[in-house]
Amino acid sequence: MSSELYLQMRGITKLYPENNVLANSNVDFDVRDNEIHAVVGENGAGKTTLMKILYGLVQPDSGRILLQQREVQIQSPLDANRLGIGMVHQHFRLIPEFTIAENVVLGTEPRRWGIFFDRDRAINRVEEVIQRYGFTINPRLPVARLTVGQMQLVEIIKILYREAQLLILDEPTSVLTEQQIHKLFVTLENLRAIGKTIVIITHKLGEVKAISQRVTVMRKGEVVAVRDTAEVDERELSRLMVGKSVTFQFEREPVKPGRVVLELREVVLRQKGQDRPLLDRVNLKVHAGEIVGVAGVSGNGLAEVEDVVGGLRRVTEGQLLHDGRDITDLSAVQLRQRGLAYVPADRLHRGSSLQSSVMENMIISSHHDFLRGGVFRQKEVEEFSETLSSSFSIDGDPRMPIGTLSGGNIQKVILARELASNTDFIIFSEPTWGLDVASAEFIYAKILEIRRRGIAVLLISSNLDEILALCDILVVLYRGEVVATLSNEEKLSKELVGEYMMGLRDDGGTQA
Amino acid sequence: MKRTRRVGELFAGTLGLLITLGISFLIAIVLIFLLSKDPLTTIYYFFVGPFTNKYYFGNMLNAAIPLVFTGLGIAVAFKSSVFNLGGEGQVYSGALVATVIMLALPESSGYLGGPVALAAGLATGAVLAGLSGFFKMKWGTDELISSFLISSAVVFIVNYFITGPLDDPGNSMLATYAIGKQYRFLAIFPPSKLDISAVFAILAGVLIFFLMYYTHWGYEMRMCGLNREFSRYGGINVSTFVVLPMIISGALHGLAGAVAIMGTYHVAVKEFSFGMGWNGIAVALIAKNNPLGVLPAAVFFAYLDAGAKAAMLHSDVTFEIAAIVQSVIFYLITAQAIYSFLRYRKRAPS
Repeated sequence: MSSELYLQMRGITKLYPENNVLANSNVDFDVRDNEIHAVVGENGAGKTTLMKILYGLVQPDSGRILLQQREVQIQSPLDANRLGIGMVHQHFRLIPEFTIAENVVLGTEPRRWGIFFDRDRAINRVEEVIQRYGFTINPRLPVARLTVGQMQLVEIIKILYREAQLLILDEPTSVLTEQQIHKLFVTLENLRAIGKTIVIITHKLGEVKAISQRVTVMRKGEVVAVRDTAEVDERELSRLMVGKSVTFQFEREPVKPGRVVLELREVVLRQKGQDRPLLDRVNLKVHAGEIVGVAGVSGNGLAEVEDVVGGLRRVTEGQLLHDGRDITDLSAVQLRQRGLAYVPADRLHRGSSLQSSVMENMIISSHHDFLRGGVFRQKEVEEFSETLSSSFSIDGDPRMPIGTLSGGNIQKVILARELASNTDFIIFSEPTWGLDVASAEFIYAKILEIRRRGIAVLLISSNLDEILALCDILVVLYRGEVVATLSNEEKLSKELVGEYMMGLRDDGGTQA
Repeated sequence: MKRTRRVGELFAGTLGLLITLGISFLIAIVLIFLLSKDPLTTIYYFFVGPFTNKYYFGNMLNAAIPLVFTGLGIAVAFKSSVFNLGGEGQVYSGALVATVIMLALPESSGYLGGPVALAAGLATGAVLAGLSGFFKMKWGTDELISSFLISSAVVFIVNYFITGPLDDPGNSMLATYAIGKQYRFLAIFPPSKLDISAVFAILAGVLIFFLMYYTHWGYEMRMCGLNREFSRYGGINVSTFVVLPMIISGALHGLAGAVAIMGTYHVAVKEFSFGMGWNGIAVALIAKNNPLGVLPAAVFFAYLDAGAKAAMLHSDVTFEIAAIVQSVIFYLITAQAIYSFLRYRKRAPS
């Protein structure tokens, strides 16, 4: 293997001004010619942003990209394709009604007389690519009839058809079964053998060992390590990824847990077109006055737990119970009537309506309380929003669109609204993601305060420091399954939880 | 900082409309210079004509009335992010059903028949548009397509009744028998056709404004329109708010038809209402879907139309030339409004 550098990214910096997140901070990233290079990191570490910059989807604030020692400008995916860079996205970009051949040639269709789509030539050309790389798949098949593994193969064929030399795969295994993963790895090995260079983004350390020659570890927008895969073990990678414990010290006075408020029993969630369940027989109990943390790397079922408990997605099998009563089939409307309070991870789209005023955002779940004969009692709405604004020290005029506020203030509005409801359980999902330290600490203090009030709290978070600082019980999800239920005591180390999160252990943990 | 930027954006939107208006008037003037032998007279009647006497002025306002109703109907739908493209058929069938009721009721029922006819026209539009909303809720059928198709089909059914069973052989036009005197709205600005329904139009604008901004239905419709995910999360029954805005939108269209018959036409002439539905969309877009903005926007539209008519009567401009000049202005303004509407929607997460 030549160790000549194929790609060099130098001093890449990217700040997302909307939420003030420094996604990449002076990142240097090298890929050697003809290697499989893994990029690992927790979510929010900046992997995807770095790859989007490389593929021309995002423009960096500063930094340079060199391809085979020549500086290049990548303004768009078209530029990237021209330079021989192809990307397989985490979510496939295929048209189900079209055949494989039609999907592959889309955008560069062979034409007859300059205007008509030449279907035969398209099939021949795609067939040629399939033969050349030794795949076995019929280009005439409609994509809708393929398995997820085959769809991914179509995505790979798509970029090979465009003569890509450098292939980027963004979390290619997250939707695949074990056998499909194995097949994919064989494919990638073969592609490398014939001279392609591959970058693979992943959360799964076992896969790094299985497929890559070198690995770059990212954390909080920075590259923290670059290693030869042969010389590093999974535990070390796990430690590099999660980093040192940031000790948030909070007084969590012992509370004797009360009754079971919320319970998930054998919950299974399947999605059409996916071979693996998103949630696989998940069991979970939250008692009054207890904070239960759901930890895991994103893509392992955290978002799905949020959707299911928030009433926005129906479970395929299993039961949800509130105070011992079955709430499995209740809609979000009915759950709200039962007092559901819920701070969602996606605060900009689900948690708020950016063009509506702060006031209108504050009353979304309680607006029926302000009516007289169907008409709003404007004064009461105003008083309500003034009260929330002042008790959560939210800056700004409540009549202005919430989109004009900072991320921290938007989250405060959501928090104020959800805590105002008279509830006995509340869901927090990624409550401090992208927030500054002061806002995060404010939110932690609030979460502990409602725990003291005897409310059951479900905290879904991929931020381990946060989970360890706040939770009484810790549930770790890996590939949709609960791999550990741990009681959060002094001796529970971040490294241990990290190993469960990365799928390095599956002994069930010390049962709490 | 951010606040001033927002105000700036809003200002830019209005400024953009004014600039487009200026440009389109300029093009209209250039066209008139090219096409008319006496351009100055033509320009005078095109732009000032509607204000030269009571008859023109009143008729201009009268032409704005149905546009207020259809414009409001579109504004309610767009505010809720549902699309009612069936306005034409809803207006036309609303007019027919109202006419049929008035023709069928015995003379002895007196003035009472008026409200009944209005309600029937309103209900007809509501049912037609509501169907599209219902299909959307039930099977996810695109309401934009289904409302358009239903409306297109209904036009032929209405045509059949007007030219067939209801045709008045004594009338040289293809039209129904005339409705009874007791159903006709009071003219308030003779010699023009402007009638009492102008007051209804203003009331409707105020009422819809109140509905959208002061009641919980309005709040829920607007929230669903801006962000359905947020609304569902917050416990609003979002599927309801696909159907309800369609029903209200259809009702306003049906009402437009009934009011036009009772105020202006007194008989249902074949294809008399054509354009009221489509122009309602343009009116709503110019008004940026604000119910109160619909009132001046409708008058503006009627003004352009009246100007073209005046120019035709008083100068050498033919119908075709007047239509071309008028269309240039219509298209430019509608395009500008659609553009800013799309940009606004793009920013809004669906």
